[in-house]
Formats: sequence, C-alpha cells, structure tokens
Amino acid sequence: MIELGIEEKSYTLNMGPQHPSTHGVLRVLLEMDGEYITKAEPVIGYGHRGHEHMAENRSYQQFLPNMGRVDYLHALAYNQGYCMAVEKLVGLTVPERAEFIRVILSEFNRISSHLVWIGAYLLDLGAFTPILYAFDDREHILDLLDRITGSRLTYCFYRFGGTSGDLDEEFVSGARAFIQRLRSRFRDYESLVTKNVIFINRTRDVGVITREQAVKYGLTGPTLRGSGIPYDIRKSEPYSAYPACDFQIPIGEKGDVFDRYLVRILEMEQSLRIIEQALNQLPDGPIMADKVPKRLKPAAGEVYQAVESARGEFGCYIVSQGDIKPYRIKLRVPSFGNLSILPEVAVDNLVADLVAILGSVDVVIPEIDR
Amino acid sequence: MLKDKLKTALASLKLAQVSDGDYARTGYHLEVAAGPEQMPAVAQAMLDQGCFLESLTAVDWRESFTLVYHFASFAELCRTVVHASLTKETKGAEAPTISRVYPGADWYEREVYDLFGIKFAGHPNLKRLLLPEDADFHPLLKDFGAEPGND
Repeated sequence: MIELGIEEKSYTLNMGPQHPSTHGVLRVLLEMDGEYITKAEPVIGYGHRGHEHMAENRSYQQFLPNMGRVDYLHALAYNQGYCMAVEKLVGLTVPERAEFIRVILSEFNRISSHLVWIGAYLLDLGAFTPILYAFDDREHILDLLDRITGSRLTYCFYRFGGTSGDLDEEFVSGARAFIQRLRSRFRDYESLVTKNVIFINRTRDVGVITREQAVKYGLTGPTLRGSGIPYDIRKSEPYSAYPACDFQIPIGEKGDVFDRYLVRILEMEQSLRIIEQALNQLPDGPIMADKVPKRLKPAAGEVYQAVESARGEFGCYIVSQGDIKPYRIKLRVPSFGNLSILPEVAVDNLVADLVAILGSVDVVIPEIDR
Repeated sequence: MLKDKLKTALASLKLAQVSDGDYARTGYHLEVAAGPEQMPAVAQAMLDQGCFLESLTAVDWRESFTLVYHFASFAELCRTVVHASLTKETKGAEAPTISRVYPGADWYEREVYDLFGIKFAGHPNLKRLLLPEDADFHPLLKDFGAEPGND
C-alpha cells in the first residue's frame, strides 16, 4: 500500500482493477498532487492462473494448449517459442515448409495483434472511429487463420517438429488479396490518425523513455524500438524462416508515445513484406518431422529459446530432469518488463497522460500474471 | 567480441565457473556459476558491458535452490546465464538484491519471493506480486500441492 498523506495536499487515486484503459485487470495506485501524479504503483496478479505450476504437472504435449492463453493476442508466437524450446531440448529438426508456414501465420497474428492495439489505444485516447476500421481489417485475418488453424484467438496449431496442418490454395489467394487490401488501408490510417493534429498533440513528447532506462528495465519489442534501439529477435537472433526474408526494423527517435505508435504501424508494413516473400518462397515438402516420439522424454538439461512476439521478447526456459514432465518452465514475458518501468515514467504526468503512456506500452495483463 | 569482454570483466570476480556455452543446444553463449553474494558485482559487470536483464527466476531442487539469471545485449547476440546455488536454511533462503543495479530486477525478485519464498536482502519493496498479500504459501515449491486437494 502507498502511505497516505505524505503531504497534506496529496491524495490517493485508485485506477482499476476495472478500468477501460487497463485492458485486462490491472490496478494502478496513484499518489496525486492535484491532477499530477507524484507516485504510481501497478498492482498485478488478478489474472494469475499458475501456468508455470501447471507445466510441472503435465507432459510436454499437454502443456501446449496453455501457450495460446498466456498472451491471447499473439498466441502463435507463444506456440512457436515453446515448440522451438522443446525441439531444441530433444533435438528435432523442423521441415522447411513448416518453418515458412509458421512465419506466415505468426506474422498474420502479429498484424492482428497490432490492429487490436491501434483500435483499443485510440479508443482510450477518445477517438472512436479507428477501432471500427482496425477490427474490420482484423476480421479478414481471423477468417484466414480460422480456415487453417480452426480457431480465432487462442490458437494451438504448431506441433513439436512442425505444424498440425498445411496451407491450401484458398488461403494463399486470400492472403495475397489481404496484403493488397491492408496496404491501401494504411493510407487511411495515415490520414486519419498519424497526421491527425489532435493525436499528435496528445502523444508527442509524452512518456519519454530513454535508452539508458530501456537497458536497466530490460524493455523489448516496439516499446524498446520506439526509443531508438533496433533490437528485434527476428533479426538479432534469427530463427525459423526469417533469415530468408528481407525486412527492416523500424525505430523511433525520441522514445515518446508517438514514436511507439509509429513503430507499430511501420512494423505491420514489414510484416506484410515478410508474408509476401514467404508465400513466394514457400517450398514443397512435409510439414512434420519424421518419427516424432509420442512420449517426449528429453534428456536432463536446460534450454532457453527466445522469439519476437508482438509485445517483445518471449523467452521460454525449460529445465528437464529426463522425465516426461518438465521439471520447471519459466515464461519470460515481454509485458512484465515493459510495465515495470511505468512508476518511473508516470511521475509528473497528468492522469490523462497516464492513460496515453500505459496504452502505448501495449500490455496484455494476463500475460504478465501468467 | 562481447563474449570476450564479458569473460575479461568477470575474471576479476573469481567466480566458480565462466565457460563457453553450447549455443545450438542450450541457447547460451556463456555459462557462469556464482555465489548468490557475488550477484550484485556480477550484475554491475554485466550492466557496464551494456547487457540487460532478460529474466530472473529460480529452480527448486528440494535440497537447495538455484537462482537463474539471464542476460543479453541489444548490441550483439550474446546470452549469458548465471546460476547461483542457494542452500535451504531453516530461517529461509536469502540472497542479496540486484535491483539497485537493474531497477527492472525489482519485479523479478518479488516474483521469485512470491512463488518460491526466497528473500532478497536490501530489496526496497519485497512483498507479494502475483498472489494476494495475505497468501501463506509459495506455489512453485516442489512440496506444494503434495497433499490431496491442494493442487
């Protein structure tokens, strides 16, 4: 608890756990001086389900569906990170076609995650229309992914050694049509939002995060890249079929809220480029490795595997004791580190700006709570 | 190369192990073993080389704990894992905090305290993070949930 009444004129404001801008259940205890924040303390854990404890009580395969429920907005990246960690642990090689399918689907999922963010974030800032555009675009992605994976949100599609299904012609033509569509929509987003003077005034020079802070708090993802550090696991620690694709890492200059917005918009364009190239290069062949054992029993040892999710670095740390169950799984989730910087950034801002800052970090609270 | 710089920087700390990792198999470029009391100095050395704290967690081995620190760098691909073994004592296991070096470690250490009951000496705000403030258990201990109905 924050100590009350540090100064006579200050008061405590309780934001959340039920607040429209916290996207999940987050509570922020604010010590206020008038409209200005003098101290902010996030209180988390409302969505704690004990995923790491569950992992210790079931086999490797049985834990796979949990991965779609940690970060539900970019579930396929978590599928991928966990599968790759287990594959590394048991020494499985994934066929080339499966790697390309993973890249295509994960990038579609990344775009859909960013679209949710843009819609919800602008809604936080008081702009109602953009969410209608963003969800319209997102619906096309969900239809495409639904066709292949069978689900719309909590995907569980990748398997140890490959993927559980293949792409078909209709998906490929639908994907190409969607790329064209979204590219033309970016012009609308630009004129509606990016060049909107109200939006710019609301976000420029607000919530600046410096490079030094980014290192000390271990920020990752667009939140980090907004501060001008070009760190993206897809480039810096290449995995899957990403090395075969040519793409750039958009970065910001000032590290303010606007830069973090811009990074995500530009990232979606790069994701489209990745998908396009991956579709063009999609090789023929199997989608599952040969002879994947039904009961995985990895030798004793430990492994760490990182992938780039829509919010930053998702790391999967597995300790095996040679059993059919993992001995310990730690999920290193990006929002955890990204939110821990909030007390430092929020101070001396207005409450209204706190909403802008909190949203710009793009936190998924159940991912933090696990 | 960052790996060589880190080796040089860590050599002066007289750690139990500083060796090359098998990256293809484990994902580590550098594997380090240190005593918990050496961790603030190790963290400072990592920060001086521009590394960030990727993750901090613990493993319960029943007789002892291992604290596991992962460090990586924004500038160059080099992941360092630091294992710090911690004996279980009757008064409770304790390690010094590194949150003065890395403020981001604040929450990670609170999480380890919350889930394992390991205390961090000198931590500015060591209280429960994910579980309710009045919880009286540490769910990632291996003897948690051993009784029927507890799981």
